[in-house]
Amino acid sequence: MFYSKLKRKILTLTVVIMVITALILSGCGNQTSSTGNSGEQVTLNFVHWRPEDVSTFNKIIAEFEKKYPNIKVQQTAIPSANYYGSLQSMVLSGQGADVFTSFPGSQFITLSGANAYADLGDLTGLKNIDPNLIKMGQKNGKQYAIAYQLVFNDPVYNKDIFKKYNISVPQDWNSFISACETLKKNNVTPILFTGNVSPRQLVNSLMMNYAPNEDIFDQVMQGKAKVTDPWFVQTLQRFKDLVPYMEPGALGVSQDGASALFAQGKGAMLALGSYQMAAVKKQNPNINQGLLVPMTVPASQAKWDGIFTSTFMLGINAKSSHIDAAKKFVDFLLQPDVAQEYANATGQMVTVNNVKYNSPELTEAQNFQKEHKNLRFQPVFTIALQEVNDGVNAAIQKVIGGGDPVQAAQDLQAVVDKVRASGK
Amino acid sequence: MRTRKTVLLFVIPALLLYTAFFLVPTLAALALSFFRWNGISDNVTFLGLKNYINLAKDPIFHSAISNNVKFTVIVLIVQTTVSLFLATQVVKKSRFNSVMRVIFFLPMVLSSIAIAFIWTFLYDPNMGVINSVIHWISPNFNPTWLGDPQLAIFSLALVQIWTHSGQILIIFVAGLQTIPGDLYEVAQIEGANRLQTFRYVTWPMLAPVTIIAVVLTTIQSFKAFDLVFVMTDGGPFYSTEILSSFIYHQAFQDYKFGYAAAAAVIFMMLIALITFIQFKIVRRNGTDYA
Repeated sequence: MFYSKLKRKILTLTVVIMVITALILSGCGNQTSSTGNSGEQVTLNFVHWRPEDVSTFNKIIAEFEKKYPNIKVQQTAIPSANYYGSLQSMVLSGQGADVFTSFPGSQFITLSGANAYADLGDLTGLKNIDPNLIKMGQKNGKQYAIAYQLVFNDPVYNKDIFKKYNISVPQDWNSFISACETLKKNNVTPILFTGNVSPRQLVNSLMMNYAPNEDIFDQVMQGKAKVTDPWFVQTLQRFKDLVPYMEPGALGVSQDGASALFAQGKGAMLALGSYQMAAVKKQNPNINQGLLVPMTVPASQAKWDGIFTSTFMLGINAKSSHIDAAKKFVDFLLQPDVAQEYANATGQMVTVNNVKYNSPELTEAQNFQKEHKNLRFQPVFTIALQEVNDGVNAAIQKVIGGGDPVQAAQDLQAVVDKVRASGK
Repeated sequence: MRTRKTVLLFVIPALLLYTAFFLVPTLAALALSFFRWNGISDNVTFLGLKNYINLAKDPIFHSAISNNVKFTVIVLIVQTTVSLFLATQVVKKSRFNSVMRVIFFLPMVLSSIAIAFIWTFLYDPNMGVINSVIHWISPNFNPTWLGDPQLAIFSLALVQIWTHSGQILIIFVAGLQTIPGDLYEVAQIEGANRLQTFRYVTWPMLAPVTIIAVVLTTIQSFKAFDLVFVMTDGGPFYSTEILSSFIYHQAFQDYKFGYAAAAAVIFMMLIALITFIQFKIVRRNGTDYA
């Protein structure tokens, strides 16, 4: 009798606590905070995904705080794999992320669609940047995010290995394969490929001149084009052509593993991008790296001569209580001397003009930009839906694993059809 | 009356935590599973059962279930067998056995992310120790542990077994130490051999701890998110996608929180069902000589 009454009491208590807890938790996001008038101490939260840049940003933040003594900046670096999950609650609540970075493509589309960004059109620092490099942060004519880093998603090559075997940078597909053959005959792995990352990098340069236009993925999603059309099947076929020149078990090799092999001189090319050059250099300070583009069509037919991505897009949370202070911080980052300090310390090229680079890798990337006048924005970042992006990755992996390009394209088209049918 | 109030006072903290961190999120996930939401927008659309219907038709979800079942069955059988065998070898009280128990338990102390990174390098087809040893024995055999879609899920299962066998071993050692020695003496007198002793004395008496070991192993196997995330991220082409990684990808990469919530609800029901069945089976085969 005592225990059955006790059970009832405990059950009642549980329900009461549930309701109270739900009410408390739902009320947690509704705090208001001060507007931070001038002279009043303001603390900004700056969130990004590059833990390796923390010490560099600490120095830059110290300089900013010296210039604006009433503004303190706290940075939080969350590894990119967990980034959106952590960012989501911060952006929703308006707490924890006043200035944050985002990727172009589906992430920017999702965040801008949710009105997460404040308008940055009035920042004076915008005049320091090539407008073409920050288009992906625009929506409806307004600038919501400003790309800070400039990356070239073209394979990195070991200049010394190429020189050793008298290989010039290939200018078309036949010479590219011929270069691979020469390397293979000399027991050098021609191209180091990582199963998880390389598909999304290399697909851009392989498809750029096959795709009929820059909006091809939009057209695929609207049903006006298909991935079973020749442009994509040919792209997959190029991947298949490269399989004999990859390291054994390429699909099972991690980015770190492939980079380590490249740094050790065991491979001539690394199917990643300019962003990896700094990390490789740390492993082997003596390596001489360059960037090349595997051209799949003759020069006379080529509209594009390389791939770029402007990423690490700086944005301000529209729900931030310190938008003015946040704009001051972003504007500060866009100054050439600050951007130069960031670039040379981190080894990442920036979108800001009039920056002097002091490392061979950054100078190489800058020369690459000067020599390649027709760079195309990374096509896979124009895919609005991540599940289609994942499908592209899977299709390439199937081909690398021995699958038929036509079948892989059909499987991807099935994914596209399913997404379109679900009304997205 | 005073006793009831005192009991309630002791129960409240645990109830608070249970409610805040289990009941409320579970009910919130259940509610979210009927909506379409990208996790950040104010636009939340009621879909009814559409998320569940789409899951039923989703080949990647089917693949995730199938991979999870494969993974769990392999881990359950091998880990339980290995742990039990090793437990019978180190159950006797001696300094050597104590040291061996610590060594077997050590992987549990390591961070799962660190284990995943270490094994990724061990499995590397070009630089990894495993293939280097295999290459030395058989130069033409060069398996791609994490790149071969037929092999990858089993490669992950091996890591899971390596990590958790020590924990299950300790559970089995505790269980073995509670079996009365008299029973073994009687079995010896009756002329039972080692296999018969195990079959008729040890195994039935281990039923209670076996339940714990099996349930723990099953739940851990269904939740092996960190290994998959770090080592393969569900690839190559979804061959290692399991339910937990599927839910993560749907929510945090594809921004489909309602869809992920529906998958999470099904996931929870699946684990509950499997656990219930396991309890029934193992209890039925157990014996209590008390």
